Amino acid sequence: MSDTRPGEPDLSSYRDVQLSPDFSELRRRFRRFVFPMTGLFLVWYFVYVLLADYAHGFMSTKVFGNITVALLFGLGQFVSTFAITLLYVRWADQKFDPDAKHLRDQIEGETK
Amino acid sequence: MSSAMSLTGIGLVIVATIGIGLFGLRISRTTSDFYVASRAITPRWNASAISGEYLSAASFLGVAGLVLVNGADMLWFSVGYTVGYLMLLVLVAAPLRRSGAYTLPDFAETRFESAIVRRICSGLVVGIGTLYLLPQLRGAGLTVQTVTGAPPDVGAAVVAIIVVINVAAGGMRSITFVQAFQYWLKLTALATPIFIILIAWRSGDHPVGVLQSLHGAAAEWAEPLSTAGGRDHPLYATYSLLLALCFGTMGLPHVLVRFYTNPDGRAARRTTVVVLALLSLFYLFPPVYAILGRSFAPDLVAGAADTVVLELPSRIFPGTAGDLLGALVAAGAFAAFLSTSSGLTVAIAGVIDQDLLRTRLTRLTGGDYLAVNSFRIAALLAMSVPYVAFRVTGALSLADTVGLAFAVAASTFCPMLVLGIWWRRMSTTGAAAGLIVGGVAASAAALVNVFGAPADGWARALVVQPAAWTMPLAFITVIVVSKLTPNTIPAGTARSMVRLHTPEAVDVDRG
Repeated sequence: MSDTRPGEPDLSSYRDVQLSPDFSELRRRFRRFVFPMTGLFLVWYFVYVLLADYAHGFMSTKVFGNITVALLFGLGQFVSTFAITLLYVRWADQKFDPDAKHLRDQIEGETK
Repeated sequence: MSSAMSLTGIGLVIVATIGIGLFGLRISRTTSDFYVASRAITPRWNASAISGEYLSAASFLGVAGLVLVNGADMLWFSVGYTVGYLMLLVLVAAPLRRSGAYTLPDFAETRFESAIVRRICSGLVVGIGTLYLLPQLRGAGLTVQTVTGAPPDVGAAVVAIIVVINVAAGGMRSITFVQAFQYWLKLTALATPIFIILIAWRSGDHPVGVLQSLHGAAAEWAEPLSTAGGRDHPLYATYSLLLALCFGTMGLPHVLVRFYTNPDGRAARRTTVVVLALLSLFYLFPPVYAILGRSFAPDLVAGAADTVVLELPSRIFPGTAGDLLGALVAAGAFAAFLSTSSGLTVAIAGVIDQDLLRTRLTRLTGGDYLAVNSFRIAALLAMSVPYVAFRVTGALSLADTVGLAFAVAASTFCPMLVLGIWWRRMSTTGAAAGLIVGGVAASAAALVNVFGAPADGWARALVVQPAAWTMPLAFITVIVVSKLTPNTIPAGTARSMVRLHTPEAVDVDRG
């Protein structure tokens, strides 16, 4: 869609931004939050599968009534998926976007 | 099952689909409308539309069928289908929006500055889309066959024709309305029979032995990682499936394009939260059908397991009540085929249009054609390939075929997107090599499956669930080849990185 391509500030300013500490900091902060979160969350799923197979005794422990550990963990996965999503959305809205906007204002100040 | 009632139900869905499509047509005017609805859709509408589009034959019929045959492990299908959206959200959604590209090939071209990488991506979009459309057509054939006894070709042809007409007429804008409507229709169709069964049982009509059937001889079915249903190496298979579903969603062509219809990144995040809620709600129901099916339709375990959702209502309530519920479910199933097929067809047609047709049409006609007509021809082509594939391939479980589409996406677009967005030293050669190696490995596994997988053992496990080896293979290929060819790192990498990682534009209007 060439008609929607942005008007491009010149290349050198992009390189400056790329090399600027603010930009590296922004990217690093994003990675520091998102990658570990993704990793943890995958591990949690994979461990659940393992437990279901190799820790029958533990998983079928009755917590109360017919409610077993496996069932609670299973529900916990749904809850944790939501928790992680909401956490991310909050973080992005409150932390990441303002920082990024700050950087953007700087760049626009330089290139205009 | 009463075929008259079910056919009426299916007919109503078709009429409603076309009706809403035509309504959208009156609003859809420009090319931007056509592709991404001018990015003016609110998160709630968009979330309903994304969910409506995403819940395909595999979710509506296939998951219940797989759980019915193979037991508890197959519940991971529904978990994985949902979690894929979270991965998409946190890893790629925002940077992709900022890239200003409409499609995966667009992204590949801007990021890697290479027409070859772009072309490989276009091929993959068509391939993944075809693999995903195939089970939709098969599901449609199966439904019409179950309801009327007509041969499978009939149902498949009906869906193919309606989808092409609707897509060619309305494009994305009308599709958004249609999809949103179809999510709620699907949920209602799937949930109502279950609620009516629960109400009937509370009032005392409790059939004996429903839950007892889960104990004793059938207990293995309800155990995790059992080999019920004859699947070997369940731990490997489960992990591989989870990987494919978690990382494949971001590479599905019809899913990504939806994220561009949000007005900004904030709205895109809101949308994802609502999508997760809507999908979780929907996936509560297929396992219930499977558990009930174990008691009321045990004959399906060895046969047409994918029809359990369609058969169950009339098995539990013989007579008019069952017929009515059966008609509702059949209508919901058709909504699933139509919505997913429409979304896929829009996405594939967009790519065929841009990368194959435009240049040729311009050459043939000297530029004397309407852009929208090129898109219409593309829509026809996009549906023809899977229809031919449907005619020549054997029966494979619906959810398994869709699983393979996820595996191919996870082994190709996932490495390209994740590394392309986060790794500055990724070279164009590395990108192409990764796409080719991952694509060839996963597609080969998919083809072997479609035409008949090995009978048992590791060979079967590796071919039925390829993602656990094809995805790492693709990532390693990209990394190794990029290290070996630092001279082909795109010159504009710095610019791309700034654009991908600074939110919503440095004095940039992204359309």
